[in-house]
Parts: sequence; C-alpha cells; structure tokens
Amino acid sequence: MARTHAAVLRRTLLYAGLTVAAVVVLFPFFWMVVTAFKEPGQAFSQEIFPGSPTLENFRRVLTDYGFARYFVNSVIVATSAALFATFFATMAGYVFAKKEFIGRDKVFGFLLASLMIPGMMYVVPQFAIINWLGWMNSYKAMIIPHLANVFGLFLMRQYMMTIPSELLEAAKIDGAGEWQVFRTIMVPLSIPIIATLFLLTFQFHWNNFLWQLIVTNVERLYTVPVGLAMFKSAHEELYTLKMAGSCISVLPIAALFFFAQRYFIEGMTTGALKG
Amino acid sequence: MPRHDGRMRRHERPGSDGSGVNPGPRPRLSRRTRDSATSYAFLAPFLITFAVFLAFPVFYSLYLALHQVPADSFDIFGGLEFVAFRNFAKLFADTKFWWSVLMTLYYAALIIPAGIVASLVLALLLNNRLRLVAAYRSAFFMPYVLDMLVVGIVWTLIYSPHVGILTRIFESVGITTFSERGFLGMPASAMPSVVFANVLKGAGFGMILYLSAIQNIPRSLYEAAEIDGATPWKRFTAITLPLVKPITLFMVIIGTIGALNAFAEVYAMTGGGPNVDVGGRALGATWVTGYYVFDTFYTQFKLGYAAAMSYVLLALTLIISLVNRRFLRSEV
Repeated sequence: MARTHAAVLRRTLLYAGLTVAAVVVLFPFFWMVVTAFKEPGQAFSQEIFPGSPTLENFRRVLTDYGFARYFVNSVIVATSAALFATFFATMAGYVFAKKEFIGRDKVFGFLLASLMIPGMMYVVPQFAIINWLGWMNSYKAMIIPHLANVFGLFLMRQYMMTIPSELLEAAKIDGAGEWQVFRTIMVPLSIPIIATLFLLTFQFHWNNFLWQLIVTNVERLYTVPVGLAMFKSAHEELYTLKMAGSCISVLPIAALFFFAQRYFIEGMTTGALKG
Repeated sequence: MPRHDGRMRRHERPGSDGSGVNPGPRPRLSRRTRDSATSYAFLAPFLITFAVFLAFPVFYSLYLALHQVPADSFDIFGGLEFVAFRNFAKLFADTKFWWSVLMTLYYAALIIPAGIVASLVLALLLNNRLRLVAAYRSAFFMPYVLDMLVVGIVWTLIYSPHVGILTRIFESVGITTFSERGFLGMPASAMPSVVFANVLKGAGFGMILYLSAIQNIPRSLYEAAEIDGATPWKRFTAITLPLVKPITLFMVIIGTIGALNAFAEVYAMTGGGPNVDVGGRALGATWVTGYYVFDTFYTQFKLGYAAAMSYVLLALTLIISLVNRRFLRSEV
C-alpha cells in the first residue's frame, strides 16, 4: 500500500512540475493571443479571458496597417528561398555523399569551416554587394544571398551516405544518366530529409528579420517581421494591434510545427547530436 | 519512408570505368575526370551562391574595415579612402565597444548557466514513463522555432511599467520595485529580464539534447547505485551529470556563439538601453556587441567601422571555439 501511495504521489508531483513548466514556457504566447482579442481600451486588463473578444484588431492590422501585404511577401520570400535552398543542398549533398571527385574533401572542409563564422559578419559586406548590384528593395535581395545553406548540405550528405550505392550502380548499368539517377533514385529515397530541410529553411527565412530589414525600405516589400518592427516603433502604445500582428507572424510556423514537429525536432537536433 | 542501413561504400573502385557500359559519343575521359565535371555541375548552384554571398563577403569585409566609407556614398566598390588600421585603432580606444564586449560577457554569463539548468530540469521531468509526455515535449520545444522578434515584443508588454502583467503580479505580492520603470527600464533588471525571456524560448532545444543523452545511460548503472543505497540526488550528481557532460560543453559553446551574435532580442526588448552612468558616460545596460555592430551600420551608416567591429567579433568567436575545442578534446 505504501508503495502505491508513493508512486501516486510521485506521479502527481511530476505532472504538477510538467504543467507548471508548460504554463511558464507558453505563457508569453498565451498572453499574446489573449491580448490580440481584447478591445483596444482593455489592453492592460488582467482578465485571463477577455469579456467580449473581438476580431477587430486582426481586421485593422491586416487592412489598415498592411499586414495582409506583408504576409503575402513573407510567403513569397520564405517559400521560394526554401525551395531553392533545399534544391541546391540536395544536389550538392548528393555529390558529396556519393561521388568521387577532385578536391571533394577540401571543398567540404572549407564549407564546414564557414559554419564557425558569426552571422553578424556577413551583414555589412552582403549589404554592400546587394547595393552595388542594384538589388535593394527587391525579392531577389531578400532571397538569393541565403541560398547556400551549409548546415542543410551537411544534413543532406549525412542522410544520403546511408543510401546503398548499389542502387545507383544498378541504375547506371541500366543506362540511366547522372541526372536520372539523382532524380529517380536519390530524390525519392531522400524525401524525409528533403522535407526536413524545406521546413527548416522556410522557418529560417520566415523569421529572418535582420536581413529583410536591411535590404528593404519600402513598405510594399516588408515581410511580416519587418512590418511588425516598423509598427512597433511607430505605434508603441497600440498594444492590442501589436499583439494581433505578432499572432499573424508566428501562426504559420506554429501551424507547421504542429503538423510536422518530428521533422523540426530531428532536423534541428541531429546536427548537434552527431557533431 | 524507411531509413537505409548504414552500408555505404563511398570510396568505390576509383579506377574502374563503369565496365565500358554506355560509352556514348562523348570524348573518352577517365572516369574520375568525367565524375569531377558532373559533380561540379551538380555543385555549381550551391558553390556559386556560397562564393558570391558568403565567402567573398568575409574577405570584402576586411577590405571595408581597412577603408573609410563616406556616409553619403553608395559606391562602395570604388573611391574609398584607404585608412589601414585606423578603424581598428579607433575601435580599441572606443569605450562603448569595450563596454559592449563586457555586456556580451555578462549576457553569456547569465544565459549559459540558466539555459543549461532550464534544459536539464525539463529533460529530467520528461524522462519518466508518463502519459502525455509527448505533448509536454512539443509544448516545451515549440517556442524554439518561433520568431525571437515576436517573443521579444510580447515580453515588452508583459514587462511594461504600471500595466504589465508581471509588474502587476509582483505588485500583488507587495513588490513595487518595478512599477515605475518596468523590468526592462531599470539597468539592474534589464539584462536578466532579456535573458529570462530568451531562456524560456530556447530551453526546448537543450532539453531534447539532454533527454536523448539521459536516455542513452544504461539503466543498470542506476540500479546498481540504488542497491548501494545512493539517494536520487546522489544518483543524479554521480551518474547523470558526468554522463551528459558532452551536451553541457556543447551548450556552453553554442551559448557563447549565441551571445556574440545576440541582436534580435535586444532590438525587440530594450534597444540596447536603459542607460547607466559609468564614470560620467551614459552606456546601455544591454548594449551587446551584436547590437553595436547593427547600430553602427544601420543607424550611423559607418560601414568601415562596423566591418572592423565584426572582424573583432569573428576573432573572439574563433578564439573561444579553439579554447573550447581544446577543452572538449581533453575532457571528453
């Protein structure tokens, strides 16, 4: 009897601990959502649930403050950047995993070494280059500079190395060309890692605020985070609207995470666990 | 899609030429040369973007750092005045810069231990056979994938003076210290508050790493210790902690690099402030180096100076990585 009591107590304490931790960790997001549904005059009320929830804040940020446009920009930038970055990394990962070519290990070592460089390093010279190319205020300026994703290449190569080379050899004996082998064998067998990398690069570009801020200064090209930052500095006091904008900013990533969390968690932690 | 077992043969018969299959009309080159050509064709998109937007900028940044870039000039590839190491000399005499390095170290000194403890606590809570463990795990990890800027903006509301929910909660238990200026408005509490928000956001990442390390520890070790009468605390300190040490060291490394790159959290929450009076100079209580680089470049448009600063940041990162690597090699 004493044992079962102790076990029940232990379980209760564990659940209590987990629940307290979850409440603390998620509270900011909960508060963001609750505030976004409050009447502007009620922004600072301490009610956990607003008496008369309203969608007015969302309507206003989307229409009066241009967030609908920012959202479209974010979708365009994040989707195309994720597509190209994943495609580039898949092709590169294939040859690093499966081909024997001159300079392979040197090139790979050089690429990996670049992971040590702090991101802040790139901001100034990349800006100078974009400016010189005349790409300021364009989608390509937001997308192209970040298409070579070395971490993604590393993930891709690790995964592709586990695909048996016999499959590729067999296809070649049947007369398949290099591109055909890649497209009909490597890509289908690497779908899980391709999906993972697509999600991770999409998330990165959706959240990549600093770079988008630097290369755009016209409102029609703002992405959601940039629009939010500008809104924040212009209307510091409009808290309910700011929270509605924040909800719009995190919603797509939260939704993707909800449906594909396994890919996110594995993709983000395998590099760390293997390295 | 099943994962394939690890039978890989990377270095396959480099001499063989595919046994003469598919000779085609192409000129007969050795297989290695032909493979190299196709390989580089596959690599081209990646390598070109890498070269233009990642490799070249690192060198070009040094060029910028050695030049004076006029604030009104957009022609940053020509007509720059060569100033040799003047930017660096100015930097080394810049109190604001050394202060930013100090604030970066302070930030690291707070966030690394706090992040490790939070991650470890979550991992230990999850390391139990309970229903709903998966749901809790997702809940703890989710903030990690969300946008730092948004998280920062939400916390400015929670931390606000007078009306912020956390300020009110403190008032309700009689603490009115933060009521007037808010958590982010007071020099003493600004940095810890930024760190607290960030730890809650990032703990899920370390949690996963610790959890998988803990689950790799053989159960028999704990059973043996239990038979020897070790208390749960003793089992934790004598078995768990030493065996997850590689993860702890990894957390220290990424924590350091994260501190050297810290920007969005400061931008969203404090803008580098609030100011403190240090020997007659007003310096920001959250003025970290990453933010100073941004401010120099974006607000003051001093490209050469910002480039010089980012080079010092790189040097610091490399030194810390090397020290850590040596430490890792000797300890693990």
